[in-house]
Order: sequence, then structure tokens, then C-alpha cells
Amino acid sequence: MATTDPSSAAARRQLANMALFLGPATVLLFMFFIAPVVVDVFVAFTDMGRSLEVTEFTTANFERMLTNDSRIGPTMAVTFTYVLLTLGIFNVTFGLLLALATTAVPERSGAFFRAIWLLPRMSPSVVYALLWAWMIGPTDRGLINQVAVGWLGLEPIDVLSNQPMLLIVLANGFIGASMGMIIFTSAIRAIPEHLFHAARVDGAGPLAVTWHITLPALRWPLSFITVYQTLSLLVSFEYIWLITNGGPFYDTMVFALYVYKRAFENGQYAYGAALSLILVAIGIAASLFMWRLLDMQRLLQTPRIEVQ
Amino acid sequence: MTTAKLFFGALTGIAVFAASAVLAPATVSAEEVTLQLWSRADRSGPLRAGNIVAAADQLNRMLEATGSETRVAIEVFENNADGFDADALDLFKAFAVDRGPDIYVLAHEWIGAFVEEDLAFRLDEHIEANPELYDDIIDTLWASVAYKGGRYGIPQDSEIRMFFYDKEMLRQIGKDEAFIEGLPAMVESGEFTIYDMTDLAKEVVDGGAAEYGIVHRPNVGPDFQMLMKSFGIDQYDADEGKLQISETQLAAFFEWLKYSVDAGVIPANMTAWSWDEVHASFRTDKTAFIKFHGIWNVPAQLETRGLTDDTYFDAIGWTHSPAAEEGGEPANLSHPIIYAVSAKSEHPELAAYIVGLASQNYLNTEHAVTTGHTPINHGQAAMPRFIEEGWALRAGAPMLEYASFMPNHAMIGQYNAIVFTGIEAVETGRLEPKDAAAFVVEELQAELGDELIVLD
Repeated sequence: MATTDPSSAAARRQLANMALFLGPATVLLFMFFIAPVVVDVFVAFTDMGRSLEVTEFTTANFERMLTNDSRIGPTMAVTFTYVLLTLGIFNVTFGLLLALATTAVPERSGAFFRAIWLLPRMSPSVVYALLWAWMIGPTDRGLINQVAVGWLGLEPIDVLSNQPMLLIVLANGFIGASMGMIIFTSAIRAIPEHLFHAARVDGAGPLAVTWHITLPALRWPLSFITVYQTLSLLVSFEYIWLITNGGPFYDTMVFALYVYKRAFENGQYAYGAALSLILVAIGIAASLFMWRLLDMQRLLQTPRIEVQ
Repeated sequence: MTTAKLFFGALTGIAVFAASAVLAPATVSAEEVTLQLWSRADRSGPLRAGNIVAAADQLNRMLEATGSETRVAIEVFENNADGFDADALDLFKAFAVDRGPDIYVLAHEWIGAFVEEDLAFRLDEHIEANPELYDDIIDTLWASVAYKGGRYGIPQDSEIRMFFYDKEMLRQIGKDEAFIEGLPAMVESGEFTIYDMTDLAKEVVDGGAAEYGIVHRPNVGPDFQMLMKSFGIDQYDADEGKLQISETQLAAFFEWLKYSVDAGVIPANMTAWSWDEVHASFRTDKTAFIKFHGIWNVPAQLETRGLTDDTYFDAIGWTHSPAAEEGGEPANLSHPIIYAVSAKSEHPELAAYIVGLASQNYLNTEHAVTTGHTPINHGQAAMPRFIEEGWALRAGAPMLEYASFMPNHAMIGQYNAIVFTGIEAVETGRLEPKDAAAFVVEELQAELGDELIVLD
């Protein structure tokens, strides 16, 4: 030990620590985030069809995408409507309302209502989607119509044909809201209790407390949920696929579902890969834009005070 | 410790030796050849897989009789796909990762796609060398397995798609028996058109006898082809080997769809229904006047409506899809399912023989009478079981005169999927018939490229 150069031993230890602490995360990042994009780019430049064989490298997929695919524009429009509505109504706004409401009531009933809102997230997605499908069945076999037609004597209600966008926003929103609810609840819990007492002493009512104490403390969680949920809504499509299958016609065909259908229901894997690069590009652009807009840099700055 | 180790080591050694001594005679001289079978899990044909297993059992009994130690085992994989199109794509994926089966069950129109990818074993030589197995197969069925001059499969069953109509409902609105029973003949002669059918269905709905006039499948599938045929649409140019479309004919077909939806005959949200809702409307709930689908619905109709072979035709009638214009030809569709042997199989000849055994009268009749499919061999019609239980199939057989098949083109699956989007667009009022036809043609051109001929 005496002959070893202490500085090189320290350097070695530092390297070992780096490998130990950063290694697993780096491997995961590479395997699940970088490698798929690399594979996707590779496949996008091939002619891989339903037999999964590659016989040539080509730019034909991109030519087709740019010149010969009339569905890209409309599906993009559907995607933006869907993301904006689900995010605006449920994932952020309703999540926030739930957090505010369930922290304002006594702890036990608050926890009870939060648990109820977590139920959709806990049920397997196929079961959840099948329940929706059964509920909205357009004939009098559907649950809503059993009540509407059978008991109330109304005309049959057909949400799937008449309000398909509302349907997918509701189905996704009921699940999405709980994520915001949990994050916001924990952020509200982290606000020092004495601030609320002080505000009350100064004569602030519940609205003023919410406005001047709670909401300012939620600035970062709100930004985080907005960015995170935007990205996840952009690429998620399983409930839409199971409930409306993108229809009627192309009314709920979000871009991610369109890509999936091209690739896996038509067996055009290479073209699907090329299309999904658009999603990758939009995802990166959207996150960079929101990073700047919401000033997320500041969230990650080194704290100016010492935390013990 | 050492002694203990030695002791356990010796014990293990003896055990292994003893086990191998017991197993050796069985494993060395007997040879088991395992063949894999891929079949779609389908309530309307469980014996498509079952008959292959039964054929292998039969072969094993023959082998046993010869004193041979060789046995054939069938490993069945039943794929849970939504339809035959989805199943074919899954099968492609299985082949791509070297998990392909030796024998597979296919909707016949997909055979071209599998031949193009070198996944289907050409069976001409095998068929010619074994007339005992194949000579009785109904000639027209061979067209369903043909592709570019070769035969790449063995027909497994056949069927007739038709309009089922509820006779009771016609009686309720005051139609006389002569009209009710004469309807199929009027359709066949071309005097009763598909527009007349919509008008009749409207009468039934307006008369309060039915809630829905005409119901159809809610998803992509073969049924729509017979409607297209009624409007003169021929999807295939056999000389060129290419698919084809006529925008004007397609628009005419879509016009009729719109006419039927506007009349309240076809529900505007038909494509949003589930299969269960579609079936129930004609079977248990009896809310639909006409359903168009395959003859293999008959067993389920008998069961759910409590009918027998004596009372069936008092309650339900069958007709072709009527001609679009007076004096035109009606149409119906037969959609055979086939067995194919993988070109990648290590035992293609053996696999073909097993398929051959499964295609004989006894086994195929089991499938035919239990699931309501028409038989593949002439001789089956003379079998006592078929005569007793196959009354519906015998009644349907004359309809085959107006039957057509789907073309065995590699891209027919995509073609049908795009046409279905047009149907959905028209019925739900998203597009006008003319726009929908233009949309479908444009999508077909983008998707099929050179494989499509646009007629007008």
C-alpha cells in the first residue's frame, strides 16, 4: 500500500464509483432510449415488409411520406387536439383540482377519494378499455343505453359515432389525472405548515391561501407534469386503439396509432419506422420548446442554500 | 465432508445410470417426428386443427401396424387473432423469426402473399402422385389454392355467404307467403334489385317489425365483396395478375350504402358495433330483418332461435346479394379456408400426407356438419351423417352457381382494408359517396402502386 501512488488509487476509486453509480442507468438509457431510435432510423431506410426481410436500402419511405401520404396532416391535427384537450382538461387542471380538494378535506376522506381516482390506473389497460367499450355500446346492449333507453326511455346514445374525440379524452383523462394528483398532493404536503397558519392569522381565506401559498409552491410540479404528460400523450395510443380503433373513419386516429397501424396491421414495418421518426422529432422539439418556455433549467440548478 | 461428498456423488451416478438404462431403449430406437401446426383460434372451425391431429393419429396407427417405431406428433399453436387477415400477418412474423409451422391454416386469398415470400410448398407433384387422396375434391375449389400456375394448398372447407332474411317479420307487415317464398327466385332472376331490398327492409322497419333493416359485419372482412360484385365490381384482372378498381362502380356501391343509411335501414354506426351486438340482433334479440354473412351461422341460429331442421325455413330465408339494376346478376361469395405446407418445413412431404389424410370424407364431414361449412369432396354428400345433418348445406349448394372467390393476390388484404375505410366513411356520414370513392382509389394507388389497375 505504501508504494501505491495515492492519487492514482483515488482516480481508480473515482472511476469505479462512476461505473457503479452511473453504469446501470447508462446501460438502461442506451438499451431502452437510444438503441430503439438507432434501430428505427436503420429500419426506416430499408424496404422491410411483412416478411421482416431487408433486401435493399432506400429512401423510398421518406419520398412516400412527403409526397404520397394524405393522412399525415389530418392525423397530426387529431393528435394535437387530443393532447391539448386531455392535458388541459384532465392531466393538469383536473389533477390539480383533485390534489387541492383532497388535501383540503380531512386526511381520511382525502385518501379515500385519491384511491378512487387511482383505480383506473391500477386496472389492466385491456380490462379498462373493454369496460369502456361495453359501457358505450351503441345498441341497447351498452351499459349507458341500458339505462338511457331501458329505464329513461330516451333515444339510444352513441358516443362512439357522435363524440369520438370526447370519448378518448375522457377515457385517457380519467387515468391521466391521477398522475398529476399524486405529484401535486405530495408537493402541497411539502409546504411548511406554518405558512398556512401565518396566512390564516393575517386573515387570508381559503381562496387567498390557495392563490398566494399553495399555487406558487406548485410551480415546478406543474411544469414537470405538463412536459412529461405532453410527451407521454403524444406517443400513447393503446386505449384509443382498443376503444375506437382510430375511428369512426379517421376521427380519433392519432399519429402514434396511425404509425402502429401502418407498421403492424399492414405489415409495412419500414414505412412505419419512417413515420415514427416524425414522432421522435416532434417529441424532441416539444420538450426543448417547453424546457425553454417553462424555464426548467432553473429546476435543476444547484440550490443556493445548504440542505442538511 | 469428503465421505459425504463421495457418497452423494456415487448416489447421483447410480441414479443417472439407472435412469438412462430405463429410458435408453425407448429413446434410441423410436423416432418421433414433430410437426407444428398453426391455426387461428376460431369458434367457427375448431376441427381445422383437430382434423390434422386426428390424421396424425391415424397415421400413427398405420405405423404401429407395420411394426415401425416412428411416430408423428402434432404441436398445435392456436393464434388468437381477430380475423384471418390479422392471423396471416402474425404468421408472417412467426416465419420471420424462424418460428414458422410446418402446416398452416389460411384464408385462401393470402396464399399468393405466402408464395411470394417462399413460405408455401408447391403441392402439384404431391397431388398428382396421390390421386387416391385428392381426386374427389370439388374441381372449382382448386382455384382457391392456385397462384401463378401452381397449387400451393389443399382446400379445407368452403361456404356460401348470403342475405339471411327473417320471414316472420315479413308476415308481420302483411306480406303473403307467395312473396316471402318467391323472394329468392325474384332476386335470382334480377327483377328484385338491391334497392328494392332496401325499400323492403324499410317497410319492415317502418311497420314496426324490426329495429334494424340490414346489419353487416362491423369490421374488415370478405362479406363486402359480394355487395361490390352486385355493382359489377371485379377486383381482379386475371390476365394481368393485378388488382383493379373502378371509381364509378365504387361510387355506385357507396351511393346504395348512403341510400340505405338515410332510409334508416343500415344503422349509421354499424361499424361501431361489436360482433356480439351484430350476432345478437339477428339471433337472440331478433331486432334485425336482414343480416348478410356465411352459411356457417346456421347452427348458431338454430340454437339461439330454438329452431329445428323442420322449422328453420319457416323462419329464415336465404338469398343472394341482389343485382344493383333490374336485369342484372345477383352475387354471393364463397370464402374457402385452406391448409398450406411450409416451404421451410424439414418434412414437407410428410406434412402434405397428413393434410391429405385430414381432407378425406370422414374427417372433413365432421368439420362440415358441426360448423356448417360446405364439404370439399363430392363423396361427402352421399355420407349418411351428411345426409342427416347436412340439410342446410344441401339447401345452400345450388347458390354456389352465383358464387365468386376473392382473388389470390398478395395485396388483397390491404385492398379490402382500404375499401372498408370508405364504407365506414359513407355510413357514418364523414364523406359523401363520390368523395369516399375518390378517397379509396387515391389510397389504393398510394398503397398498391403498380399492382393496381384503375379502370376509370
